[in-house]
Amino acid sequence: MEFTLLFLAVAIVMLVAWRGSRPLALGLFAAVLIACVATYLHHATDTLKLSF
Amino acid sequence: MTQARAITLNALGLYAVALVLMAAFAAQFILRELPCPLCLLQRILFAALAVGPILNIRFGPRPSHYAMSLLAAVAGAVASTRQVLLHILPGDAGYGSALLGYHYYTWALIGFIAAIILIAAVMLFDRQFEDDGAVLPPTGGPLAQIAVWLVIALTAANVVTTLLECGFGACADNPVVYELLK
Repeated sequence: MEFTLLFLAVAIVMLVAWRGSRPLALGLFAAVLIACVATYLHHATDTLKLSF
Repeated sequence: MTQARAITLNALGLYAVALVLMAAFAAQFILRELPCPLCLLQRILFAALAVGPILNIRFGPRPSHYAMSLLAAVAGAVASTRQVLLHILPGDAGYGSALLGYHYYTWALIGFIAAIILIAAVMLFDRQFEDDGAVLPPTGGPLAQIAVWLVIALTAANVVTTLLECGFGACADNPVVYELLK
């Protein structure tokens, strides 16, 4: 579910970058990037058997 | 490099991102290989790479826009490096099938590193950041507009396919079926 939300968030950032204000796009992009890093760190701290 | 040329280069960058996202879809639908969570994260970061060029096309080239793409590319390189390292031991067959001898996550790592190098190279040209007085086409012209909407459409398509694959819970570690279609 978190990956669906991240894709949705990136799509929204793209639309804001194309149609909305620049500061809002910059702020949303920062939030999405932080969420991506948090998701990565969450998975990186799991015990892994495969690519996940 | 003039502003107009930089905007054309940014539009070409968007087509490159679109090509990567389409190649990922091709592997998913033609080879019937569902992307793992780390693979999805790499796709998301490829899509995030496109935000900088979209801003460059709309507001004109700025170092901060390139910096956004650089940050996304570095994060993507970290994620794909981790997946390469997970399968680096001798005897490990890797995840998914290989294309020209490399798995998709290895190609992703090459792609992110190439993006970092290319963005840094484009940023070397300072004249693109100065107002040269040229009358630029509104929102970059047709080539750029098609590129922007293509990348947005592919990202939106990924929202749908990821929802079908993962459902409303956590994504499977080794997905083999679409959760919402079984």
